[in-house]
Amino acid sequence: MSTAIQAHELSKRYRRASALTECTVTVPEGRVSALAGPNGAGKTTLLRILAGLTSPTCGRASVLDGAPRQNAAFLAEIGFLAQEIPLYQRFTAEDHIRIGAHLNPRWDAPLARTRLAELRIPLDQRVGTLSGGQRAQVALALTLAKRPRVLLLDEPFAALDPLARRHFLATLTSAVADAAGLLTVVLSSHLVTDLERVCDHIILMAGSRVQLCGDTGTLLAEHKMTLEELVLAYMAGEDS
Amino acid sequence: MTLLVWRQYRAQAVIAAVLLAAAAVVILADGFQIASHWHSILLTCSGSSACLQQQAPLVNGVVSDLPYLSLLVPAVLGMLWGAPLVAHELESRTSDFAWTQSVTRTRWLTVKAGWLLLAAAACGGAIAALITWWSGPVNASQADAFQSPHFDTQGIVPVGYAVFAMALGIAAGTMARRTLPAIAVALGGFIALRLVISDLVRPHYLAAVTTYYNVTGSFTPPGAAWVFSQGAISKTGQVVLAGWGELEPAVPASCQKLLPGNGGPVPKSGSPLSAVFSCMHANGWRGFATYQPASRYWPFQGIETGIYLLLAAALIAVTLFIVRRRDA
Repeated sequence: MSTAIQAHELSKRYRRASALTECTVTVPEGRVSALAGPNGAGKTTLLRILAGLTSPTCGRASVLDGAPRQNAAFLAEIGFLAQEIPLYQRFTAEDHIRIGAHLNPRWDAPLARTRLAELRIPLDQRVGTLSGGQRAQVALALTLAKRPRVLLLDEPFAALDPLARRHFLATLTSAVADAAGLLTVVLSSHLVTDLERVCDHIILMAGSRVQLCGDTGTLLAEHKMTLEELVLAYMAGEDS
Repeated sequence: MTLLVWRQYRAQAVIAAVLLAAAAVVILADGFQIASHWHSILLTCSGSSACLQQQAPLVNGVVSDLPYLSLLVPAVLGMLWGAPLVAHELESRTSDFAWTQSVTRTRWLTVKAGWLLLAAAACGGAIAALITWWSGPVNASQADAFQSPHFDTQGIVPVGYAVFAMALGIAAGTMARRTLPAIAVALGGFIALRLVISDLVRPHYLAAVTTYYNVTGSFTPPGAAWVFSQGAISKTGQVVLAGWGELEPAVPASCQKLLPGNGGPVPKSGSPLSAVFSCMHANGWRGFATYQPASRYWPFQGIETGIYLLLAAALIAVTLFIVRRRDA
């Protein structure tokens, strides 16, 4: 199995603080990786570097055998959904779907429309007037309609209620199943129970560093812990 | 990309078109009135310049401020469309959506800024065309075509201003990353540059022409020339400017006794100074006028438009560099 994402001693320093320190991470193709850790651990920075939105201060990132770059072919492979659910508030979901069709080569508009219809989300209503859960679903449907090979999701359900979270995860799980091993996902969250449900790989971060990275089953067996215990153990370790 | 730009700006485009149409109606209605008024004045005066000068101003009231109002159009475009172009996307995080589609940031900015610069050029050009037409009779009755509000509201320079103001707004928004400060910079920067260029740079686009003439005669540069200074100059380079205020200490002693205040003869007709001028002429003084000839109106329009377009291009280049390199 080939490697979808690789980071080698990746660091990002801002004027005052270090957001990411010498992170080395490997995610094999087709895995769903949980990026867990407390707030401020560097999860967002890592995802933004992988999406090509931020450039690292030093170190190397490689996504599908190349550094994240400003290149239409590369951007077509990446699906990115930021925590803030960035959508044009005054556009409808249908507007977004049409615009996406013009901006992406493999756009699957019927897929987006079907998903949103199943969830009974109106296509002709301004996105700004939808609920938080509906907005997140629209954004996820758009990200999936791009048919990316690498999907980077940054705390997409931080603001969602448990039911909306379940719907969101169900959409994600079916997308992974449809892709038959060709879609690699990195999903950051501090809601460990949600992560446990969908992930088979974990990247544990604390204090701007990667603490642990690997196959969930193997790591849990090694440590003889549940995922939640494992995450808590590393978060506590960082505090002491 | 064009679809995204259209969807983002279609409401504003409609508003702008409606405002432009309303302005056109006002300007056209008023312009026809002025034109017919001017026509009747020409008929009444039948070529007598004294009669023409006695006529009341062609335009007055609110309408006479039309050219001044049109000066604001580029600044408004830069503030309302230019400043938010990048800044608002960053503020509302929609840049995260736009910059992770299969379109490079270079293309995103080129298409988006390209359409808006084109829109600015169209608005600037439309307003300028209307004002140029409206000002026809006023221009014919005025002497100076090189200064505000004639030069900067007519011809092609308003296109340059509009494109520059838009580029300045875009660049300011990209650097500040926030719309409000960008609006302030776009307005302040535009006004400051306009003043500097019109007051300090425009007079020097081409070297001014100096014409010498017999000081006993008179000379007026033909057409709507831009006169910088006029007066008399001695063989040694001593200068007396028109208005003749400093004439007495400047003229040679032999001519001073001819000045009316010094008991000189007061001629029955003509200028009371004609004897002084003859004396000055005998002593080698010449009349001079330094000016930009009226025929340079279009070259000056071209040069000024070129300056603003070049500055706009530089600002867009800087914006492209920042958008490509900086972390989103």
